[in-house]
Amino acid sequence: MSERLYPGYGRDERTTFAPYGAFEVPADLRELFGRYDVEAMARRVRNFRYAEEWTMMVLGGWMATIPEVPVKTGLGKIVWDGAQGADALGKRLPELRCGRKAVDASEAANDGFAKLVQALAEPETPDLTIEKLAGVFDVLKPHLLAVYERTMRETDQITDAPTIELLEDIARRTRKHVAWGDEVLDRLCDTDGKRERRRRRVAELRTQLEACGGVTGTLADEQGRAH
Amino acid sequence: MKRFIAHEELARDSRFTRQTTALSSLIAQLPDDVNAVVALFEKFAPLIEKSTRGTSAEALYDAYGPGFGLVTNTQALKPGDPATETRLKLRMHGIYVGELQALEGAGRSLWDFPDAPWEFKMNMARQCWDEARHVQIYEKLLEHVGGTPGMFPESTFLFECACADDPALRVAGVNRGLEGLACDVFRDMIRYAEEVGDEKMRQAIDYVLADELTHVRFGSDWVREFCKNDPERLQRANDYRKQVDKQFNFGGARSEKKDSAIPIAFEDRREAGFTEEELSELVGLCGEGPSRETMREAARVLRERHRVRKAEQAGAKS
Repeated sequence: MSERLYPGYGRDERTTFAPYGAFEVPADLRELFGRYDVEAMARRVRNFRYAEEWTMMVLGGWMATIPEVPVKTGLGKIVWDGAQGADALGKRLPELRCGRKAVDASEAANDGFAKLVQALAEPETPDLTIEKLAGVFDVLKPHLLAVYERTMRETDQITDAPTIELLEDIARRTRKHVAWGDEVLDRLCDTDGKRERRRRRVAELRTQLEACGGVTGTLADEQGRAH
Repeated sequence: MKRFIAHEELARDSRFTRQTTALSSLIAQLPDDVNAVVALFEKFAPLIEKSTRGTSAEALYDAYGPGFGLVTNTQALKPGDPATETRLKLRMHGIYVGELQALEGAGRSLWDFPDAPWEFKMNMARQCWDEARHVQIYEKLLEHVGGTPGMFPESTFLFECACADDPALRVAGVNRGLEGLACDVFRDMIRYAEEVGDEKMRQAIDYVLADELTHVRFGSDWVREFCKNDPERLQRANDYRKQVDKQFNFGGARSEKKDSAIPIAFEDRREAGFTEEELSELVGLCGEGPSRETMREAARVLRERHRVRKAEQAGAKS
């Protein structure tokens, strides 16, 4: 029998190519099933988009009221990173059955998280750079980073790979933002009094963050699971 | 954080002082009359003097009196001219603070208009990054020509006259008025850099100019989008942009003439989306108000009077 390149209709009309499962070359030990179904992931993506969009808008508003020039310019790039993150999250929504027009849909997980964002945005005058930055770079962004990383670990690695890909990119940028914010705050908080202002602001907002359950409203469940 | 802030609320560190913005707005409304210009500057002389104290402009005030800005603004940058070094620092510093205000304006557009379309927010966010880089670039260029941030008083009139409450007017003022002016000024700076063989300055400003064309396009697109099916709003946006353009003429410093202090960059503006009709209007607006010759003569009169006053004060003391 000559070697067949394409299968025919009869039992003896198969090709001669060796059989492999979808994950055998190279070996892939990932298993199907993740913590979030399509609907749950779509909700999370809307929650993440809300956080990214509002953080970017708040930072944009602050650039005029922050006197430190390197902070203004540093925030310029972070605003653009945030917009790109929100944009990528929005583009994922139609792929998660939210409708074609869902690309700009943002949703707070609950009223508590929406209020937290407003509390973050509260500091206004030029003497409050520490309070402004501590809220975003010591509290919100580290929280978002932790949730993004957990989501990437817990979602189905195969069926939800597009979400993982975009979160990888957002997490990479968020890590840089947190490091930048930490460096700037360390520099700005050069007295015990200023360090205390930073600590107080962080404690106040962290309490509020924990009370509302964070960006997805499910922080307590997720932390419990992690422990 | 409240929405819509006044220009007085722009935050600055201890290096900066402010310059009155009233003068810039009033000049645009003056007739082409030397006496009117002189009277206006004399009225504002105490404020002008106050804002120069402790800055590099103090020496300029001492030499030229309250009209020192006219001496520097109305002349082109010419290699070999002894006044060019000061003029260049003044212009570079003016651009540096202008970029700061453009960054702040773009950022405020994100906060002031939370319900704006997502693509608008994307464009403003991108502009924030671009303007932040421009601040960094011009800080380096300012140092490159021997200047430092805060060496001259800052006029916040770019922010003041370009930041309207309606997003259509905001982009008309900031993205088309202010960024259009940037096209003119940067093309002239590139011309100067080429003449003196300053490759670092030429290349850096060339990149910045490319960004500015993009920002003007953002403005052209969003004025069209916001004013779609609303001819009255379009009229208001166009009137606002014209008003901003008029205020940015700096008393005849900008014009279509090649020997003007800031020639209109027609080619760049066309590429950025300005129509022939808009360019003709701009040329017309540049011809309104005091001419460059009037401003020069006013500067001469102000300098003479300043010298006389100084001599009288010195005489009284002795």
